[in-house]
Amino acid sequence: MAERKKGFVVAAVVVIALALVPLVVAREYVFSILCMIFLYVTLSQSWNILGGYTGQINVGQAAFFGIGALAARLLWVAGVPFYLSILAGGLSSVILAIIIGLPALKLRGHYFAIGTLAVASIAQITVGNILPGISFLPAQHMATYSLIPRYYVFLIIMVTALAAVYITVNSRIGLGMEATRDDEEAAQMVGVNTFKYKMIAFLISSFFAGLAGGGFAYFNASYYWYLPFTLMWCFEPILIVFIGGVGSFIGPIIGSVCYVLLKELFALTLGEANLLIFGIVFILTILFFPKGIIGLPAKLRQLFRRRGNVVGR
Amino acid sequence: MQSKRCTLVVAMIAFIFFSFTSVLVFAQDVPKSIKIGASISLTGRFAAGGIDVADGYKLAVKHINDNGGILVKQFNKKIPVELVIYDDESDPSKTVTRLEKLNAEKVVAYLGEFASDMNIAGLGIAEKNKVPWVGVTIAVENVFNQGFKYVFGPNMFSFMEVAAFLDALDAIPKAQRPTKIANFELQVDWGKECTKYLQKYAKERGYTIALEKKFAPDTKDFSSMILAAKSAGCDAVFAVPTPPQSMALIKQMKELDYAPKATCFVRGPDLSNFWQVMGKDANYIMTSGEWTPDMPYPGNKKLVADYRAQYPNKLMGMPVGNGYSAFQVLADAISRADKLDRESIRQALTTTNIVTVKGKVTFDKRGVGNVPHVLAQWQNGKLVIIVSPDYKPAPVLVATPWSKRK
Repeated sequence: MAERKKGFVVAAVVVIALALVPLVVAREYVFSILCMIFLYVTLSQSWNILGGYTGQINVGQAAFFGIGALAARLLWVAGVPFYLSILAGGLSSVILAIIIGLPALKLRGHYFAIGTLAVASIAQITVGNILPGISFLPAQHMATYSLIPRYYVFLIIMVTALAAVYITVNSRIGLGMEATRDDEEAAQMVGVNTFKYKMIAFLISSFFAGLAGGGFAYFNASYYWYLPFTLMWCFEPILIVFIGGVGSFIGPIIGSVCYVLLKELFALTLGEANLLIFGIVFILTILFFPKGIIGLPAKLRQLFRRRGNVVGR
Repeated sequence: MQSKRCTLVVAMIAFIFFSFTSVLVFAQDVPKSIKIGASISLTGRFAAGGIDVADGYKLAVKHINDNGGILVKQFNKKIPVELVIYDDESDPSKTVTRLEKLNAEKVVAYLGEFASDMNIAGLGIAEKNKVPWVGVTIAVENVFNQGFKYVFGPNMFSFMEVAAFLDALDAIPKAQRPTKIANFELQVDWGKECTKYLQKYAKERGYTIALEKKFAPDTKDFSSMILAAKSAGCDAVFAVPTPPQSMALIKQMKELDYAPKATCFVRGPDLSNFWQVMGKDANYIMTSGEWTPDMPYPGNKKLVADYRAQYPNKLMGMPVGNGYSAFQVLADAISRADKLDRESIRQALTTTNIVTVKGKVTFDKRGVGNVPHVLAQWQNGKLVIIVSPDYKPAPVLVATPWSKRK
C-alpha cells in the first residue's frame, strides 16, 4: 500500500512537472519530441491493455488510430471545437471496435491477429480510394497554429489513458483480463466470461487509439488522409511494448521514451546507418531481455547472483 | 568665413554620421555560415530517391563553397553554406520533428524532399514556422492553392506533364499521329489533377479521350484496363503510375499484345535504372524529362562530371539534377535578399528568375514554378529529350507492334 502511495506521488510530480514544461522551455522542437512521446505512450498503452494484459494480439491498431484521426480532422475543420472533435475521434474508434470486435473476438490465437490486420489493410485502401488528396488546415487555423495547446492535448490524452489502464488492470476486470490471457479455456471453465473481458479491453484500447488519432489530426498541419491508416501505426506500438516490457504498466512508457529518444538521437548523429544500428539494438534487446527494459534489473540481479555463487564455490 | 565654418560643421556631422553608421555595419556579426536545413529519406522505402536528392544538394553546396560561398548583400561578403540534413526514415511524423529541430537550429530556409508524403508534412511546418521551403519533386498544383506564402515548387506540375505529352503527340507526323487516348488514372490527387488537365487540353487540341479507367496505388493487375484500351482502339496511353506499377503495366501490355503508338508513364521510366530492369521493352516509352545529364543548360556538364567522379559506380537519377537545381534557386534568392533572414529570402524567392541546370525557373504568385515543359523517351537504351521549349529535341519515335520489335 505504501509502495502504491509512493507511486502515486511520483506520478503526480511527473505530471505536474510535464505540465510546467511550456513555462520554462520555449523551443518548439522540445514540444514536438514530447508530443511524439506522449502519442506513442498512449498508443502503445492502448495496445498493451488488449495484447499485454488480455493476450489478444491486435495487429490492426492503425485502423482505430486512423478512424479517430479521420473523424476528428473532418469535424474540427468543419468548425467543431477541437476537444469535442478529438473525443468524437475516440468514440468513432469505439464504434468500429464494436462492429469488428463482436465477430473477431470470437476468433482465437492467430486468427484474431490476422483479422485485425485485414481490417487495417482494408481501411487504408478504402480511405486512400475515397480520399486520395491532402488534408490542409484552413488558413485561420494555420495562422494561429501553436505547439503549446497540442502539447497539452497530448499530455491530457496520455494521462487519461494511463489512469484508465491503471484503474482497469488493478480492478476485478483486470483479473478477468489476465485470466483470459493466461488460459482462456481454464478461465471459461471456472465461469469467467472471457468474451466480455476481451470486449472491454478492446473497447478501452480502441477508444484511446482513437483519441491518439484525434491528437494526431490536431497536431499535423498537412498530411495525406490515408497517412494515419498506414501499417506503420500497427507495428510501432507493438515494437514499443516489446522494447519496454509486454503486459506491464511501466513497460510501454519506458519503451516509448527509449524508442522516440533513441531513434531521434541515432537519426541526428548516425545519418544513413541509424536504422541499421537501431535494428541491431532492438534485436539485442529482444534476445537478451525478452521481458523488455522493465525486466533488465531482475536480469542483472540474476546475473550478479550467479557470479556470486561461482565466486563462493 | 562663416560659410567656411558652416561647411566644416556639416563635414564634421557627416563624418560622425558615416563613422557611426559604418561602425554599426561592422558591429553586425557576420555569421560563419548560412545554415540551410533539409529532412530527407536517407533510409526506408523512399531512400533511393532521397539519397539522390541529398547528393544533388551536397554537390551544389560544394560548388558554391568552392567559390567562397554566397555573396550576402547585408554584409557585402561571401559566406559559406552549411547544409544540415537529417534522416526522416521515410516517415512523415519524423519529418515534422526533424524540421522543428532545424527550426530550433535557426536555419534560414528548408529544402524539400523526394517523396510526396514527407513533402506534404514538411510544407505545413514550413508555413507554420515561417521558413521558406523550396521543393524538388512536388507535382501537385492543388498544394499551392492553399494560400501558402513560404512554399515554392521549382519543378514540373501536373498541367505541365500533360501539356508536354500532348506536345509529343503533336510532334508526330499527322499520318502516324495517335488520336484516341486511354487515360489510366491513378487514384491519388496527382492522378486526378492530370485527368482534369488531360480532358481540358485534349479537347482543345483535337484529341479524343476514348477510355478512362481508375486504379489504386497498390494495384498490380492491369489486364482489364489494358484489354479495354485495346478493344476501344486507343493508340496512346497516359498515366502517372508508381515506379513498380509502370514496370508491371509495360510487362502486361506486352503479354496482352497491346502496343499503342505512344505510351507515357510520367513516373517510373524516369528512373536511371529503368532500362536495366526492363531491357528493350522500355523502348518508345515516354516519361518525365525534367532533368537529364545531357541538358545543355549552364553548369550541367560540371554537375554531371563531378557526380560521376564522386560516385563512379552510381547511376545518375533525375532527383540529383532536380536537387541541384532547387539549391541553385535558393542560393540565388539568398544572394538577392536584402538581409540574411527568412522573410527577406522568401521575398527574394518570389522574384526568382534564374537559369539552372534544368533551365529557366520563375514562380507565379502561388509559388508554382514556371519551368521548361520537357518530355523524354527511351530510345535504344538512352533517355532522349523529345519535347523541349529551349532547344531542338530528338524526333519522337512511334512504337511498333511487339511482334516486330527485335
